[in-house]
Amino acid sequence: MSDLYEVSVTVNGTVYQRSVEPRLLLSDFLRHELGLTGTHVGCEHGVCGACTVLFDGEPVRSCLMFAVQANGHQVSTVEGLGTMEELHPLQQAFWEAHAVQCGFCTPGVLMTLLPFLEENPTPSEEEIREAISGNLCRCTGYQHIVDAVLLAAEKMPSQGDC
Amino acid sequence: MRLSGEYLFDGPREKVWELVRDPKVLTSAIPGAQSMDQVSENEYEGKMEVRVGPVAGVFSGRLVVSDEVPPESYALSVQGRGVIGFARGSGRIQLIDRGDDTTLMKYEGELQIGGKLAGVGQRLMDSASKSIVRQGLESMNAALQAPATGEEGKGNAPV
Amino acid sequence: MAEKYVGQRIKRNEDPRLLTGRALFVDDVELHGMLHAAFLRSDYAHARLVSVDVSAARNRPGVVAVYTAEDLGDLWKPGPLLVPAPHSVENVVFHQRTQVPLAKDKVRYVGEAIAVVFAESRYIAEDALADIWVDYEPLEPVVDMERALDADAPLIHEDLDSNLCAHLAQEKGDYQAAREQADLIVSRRFLVDRGAAGAMENRGVVADWDEKAQHLTVWDTTQAPIPIRNGLAGMLGLSAHQVRVVAPFVGGGFGPKIMMFLSEEVLVPWGSMQFKRPVKWIEDRQENFLATTQERGQVHDAEMALTSDGRILGVRDVFIHDTGAYDPYGMTIPLNTQSHAMGAYDVPNYYTEVKVAFTNKMIVTPVRGAGRPQGIFVAERLLDIAAKELGIDRVGIRRRNLIPPEKFPYNHEIIDQAFAPLVLDSGNYRLALDQAVKRIGYEEFIKDEQPRLRAEGKRVGLGIVVFIETTGIGPYEGARITVETSGKISVATGVGTQGQGHFTSFAQIVADQLGVDVRDVHLVTGDTAEFHWGTGTFASRGAVVAANAIHAAAVAVRAKTLKLASKVLETPEEELELRDGEVRVADIPRQSIGLGELAVLANPLRGAVEPGTEPGLEATDYFGPQYGATANGAQAMIVEVDPETMMIEIKRHVVVEDCGTVLNPLIVEGQVHGGVALGIGNSYYEKLVYDENGQLLNASLADYLIPSATEVPRMEVGHEVTPSPLNPLGSKGAGEAGAIPVPALFAQAIEDALADYDLEVLETPLSPNRLFELLQGKEKAE
Repeated sequence: MSDLYEVSVTVNGTVYQRSVEPRLLLSDFLRHELGLTGTHVGCEHGVCGACTVLFDGEPVRSCLMFAVQANGHQVSTVEGLGTMEELHPLQQAFWEAHAVQCGFCTPGVLMTLLPFLEENPTPSEEEIREAISGNLCRCTGYQHIVDAVLLAAEKMPSQGDC
Repeated sequence: MRLSGEYLFDGPREKVWELVRDPKVLTSAIPGAQSMDQVSENEYEGKMEVRVGPVAGVFSGRLVVSDEVPPESYALSVQGRGVIGFARGSGRIQLIDRGDDTTLMKYEGELQIGGKLAGVGQRLMDSASKSIVRQGLESMNAALQAPATGEEGKGNAPV
Repeated sequence: MAEKYVGQRIKRNEDPRLLTGRALFVDDVELHGMLHAAFLRSDYAHARLVSVDVSAARNRPGVVAVYTAEDLGDLWKPGPLLVPAPHSVENVVFHQRTQVPLAKDKVRYVGEAIAVVFAESRYIAEDALADIWVDYEPLEPVVDMERALDADAPLIHEDLDSNLCAHLAQEKGDYQAAREQADLIVSRRFLVDRGAAGAMENRGVVADWDEKAQHLTVWDTTQAPIPIRNGLAGMLGLSAHQVRVVAPFVGGGFGPKIMMFLSEEVLVPWGSMQFKRPVKWIEDRQENFLATTQERGQVHDAEMALTSDGRILGVRDVFIHDTGAYDPYGMTIPLNTQSHAMGAYDVPNYYTEVKVAFTNKMIVTPVRGAGRPQGIFVAERLLDIAAKELGIDRVGIRRRNLIPPEKFPYNHEIIDQAFAPLVLDSGNYRLALDQAVKRIGYEEFIKDEQPRLRAEGKRVGLGIVVFIETTGIGPYEGARITVETSGKISVATGVGTQGQGHFTSFAQIVADQLGVDVRDVHLVTGDTAEFHWGTGTFASRGAVVAANAIHAAAVAVRAKTLKLASKVLETPEEELELRDGEVRVADIPRQSIGLGELAVLANPLRGAVEPGTEPGLEATDYFGPQYGATANGAQAMIVEVDPETMMIEIKRHVVVEDCGTVLNPLIVEGQVHGGVALGIGNSYYEKLVYDENGQLLNASLADYLIPSATEVPRMEVGHEVTPSPLNPLGSKGAGEAGAIPVPALFAQAIEDALADYDLEVLETPLSPNRLFELLQGKEKAE
């Protein structure tokens, strides 16, 4: 069996230290080592976008990265957004616009959209579609997701100073 | 999948013939080849690391040479397989003496692939197999130029 | 009773869990000491298994066991036939050849499981697959469904005389006589190729055998947990009460997750019992392409006989259906095709004949649409071609032939997938078409916009089609509803949920009956420990069959509640109302009692239960429709084709849907959007490409293109409502409607956009490459 490596990864603000095999994917690390199962795995080849997390603030496919690459870095997952009692405005907009059906792709879509909306707080429909074109959804036909983003953009406070 | 082409060696036909029939040279020339053992007069067994796009793994294979007409031509059949799938093929290689100490190789063959190699690698298989053949031939040509056979011609030419 | 919730756009109860990553999916189940399974799958489409050497794999550290077919003992037998052949039709031929847990002697498709590894981690299990050595003797593969039926084709099941799996002919009226009367006969050959269901979550099974309790729990991404529980119990020699199957949140179903006792669903629970440890298997995406069932795949030789003024006299459709290597789902798909190849039309004479062929490809079972898109493609394409030949407007010819409202219920005189006569229960088909015509601006587009755009050199076209969708078949579903002492309501039903919003639409029905807040209705779906009578979520039946069962149970609980409250409040039932979680005297709202308090009174700690009554405010009820309800609709689209790249832009897409009573328009619209997106995939992007050796060449999401947000347009959805007379809610299913007419719609729109080529689209899916080829052919011909 391969050697184990010590990694220290900050996920949603909490520092986790674990010994991992070098081949352990970041997605498996988050889900099975840390129990953060909100990040889903749909293809393991970087196409579907379900496993998208923020890596030092940038959206990445956690199925295309190894856990050891995250050593010393910051990762944000859907669990770090709102809670069931107090949803993040983007989550709230998804709820209101019925942007969720089976919900499997949803965490990845949310994580893709967070930095997008920070950069572009008033996107057009076309820009939204472009932004989520790397996230496959088989249930919604995307329309209610687009509506949710438009709604969120209306409701979210300007993020200029974060 | 069909595979065919031509390649010009900078050397006389007899030397090229020796080269292409030498398992040691083939092992060092074919990109990814790890071993090649002669198991009978015309049969070889070997291992080769195959990488096609996102699919990679070790193939165990067998190569059989037949219809030999030294130093002009021979037929070849290969079978390889591993966890990523299988490949089976057959082809014919012809060496033409151009009379100026160069030799023209003509090759043509059919390759059938299966398993993960087909399902995931298919889109890239055409270019990957062409690149393996080209790299192999270039390494052999380099070996042909080297005073001692083999070692210098390690199959690691850049793509 | 005021309907406060049914029909309203209610936000879904389940969403906060899904949005925050707190919902349980099968792969989220983590159990102490869990083993992981991986399957070795065939690289060949057709080969004899000479030997399978697993010794090296067994010796790998971390591997607990490796099994081949030889090791399975009594467990090794063909899986159950999920749907039998239609016994009510004369001369039906059907050869049952269902899949086996692990291939023995022979493999029949690429991806068929040969061996299973159980190991301490998935990584080790996959490593061990590389240690297994299989000696194959390749056989000639049978890939093409027409070739499969040739007399000299190699046999896939060698105990049969041919690769014919089934044969079924049905007739209504006398097509041959109608043909002789006809002014015009159009006949064409149509091809519909295969696609994947492509749920974002792959399949998965976790099983946990508790040796001390002698109880097996299985978490399964299934659409039909109750049949799976019953089947597994039988296979594993357990009583049904020793098995609990849970379908938690399931990441999209679309048909293949009905699951049909394929290898993984049987061997993972069996493995857990062998090792007395939990076992997990989660499919990866490549396995999903190779080992999850697929659909479409038919060749039709069809013709339509018409009068010179465009009246349909009859339709004849003779087709081959590719079932792949095995046939666990019986003839459901071809029966659906037969039920839809007359479209939404008044067709007096019909002859339909199908031959089902075994091929060396993945097993075919229903995928969203389930045979219906093929039928609608045939009907709509024939009518388009006839309209052109007769010089009749395509909307006009449709109006002329739609079943008129006064003819319902309309008996088509053939049997459908439920083996019941194909009777279309209700509808006003013309309304949907008229609304679509209006919304897309048909007249204006044809008269003004299209000529103007064409003059600018743009290739724009319009498509407009109508369709039906048979939905809501039996046998039945059930539900149990309980008023809890907290005053909240719990509902248990047998159907699983894969995103359809059952937690909400079903809660709406209950909330209206019991006068409570919709958020106070808690639903459990898909857990056999909670409810164990029923079949599952498929065939667009949730909103019909399960919803009406829930309605019936809610009505019963309401009656019990009123009866008890009447006694407590000393007021006749007629003067009581259920509102805001209370029963009140209608005129004196202060005289009231909370539902929770009533629930306590209904379950007293002292005193006897009166004879003829039951404790608690609880009721269980069932609903089984006499026959299925049939939804209908129309869709229209405007496309622009880029003649350089053959890329297609959908400029507008209109859907008009009549699914009877709408429980929640938000959810129905979501269903329509998702269905249309799949239909777009089925029309232009998604095709499973098999080579001549039966190798699937695009077994990844990089090569198999599921439409993304940039390919799917904004859709405009309109409704018509003709309630079904077959159930108290008046609902009809809506789950598959979006997908069904899109290939036919797309074909018509592309032909219209490329009118200068005089192209006939007779196949689906197309692709930019394929369209280019078709146009090349045209240019050469001219």
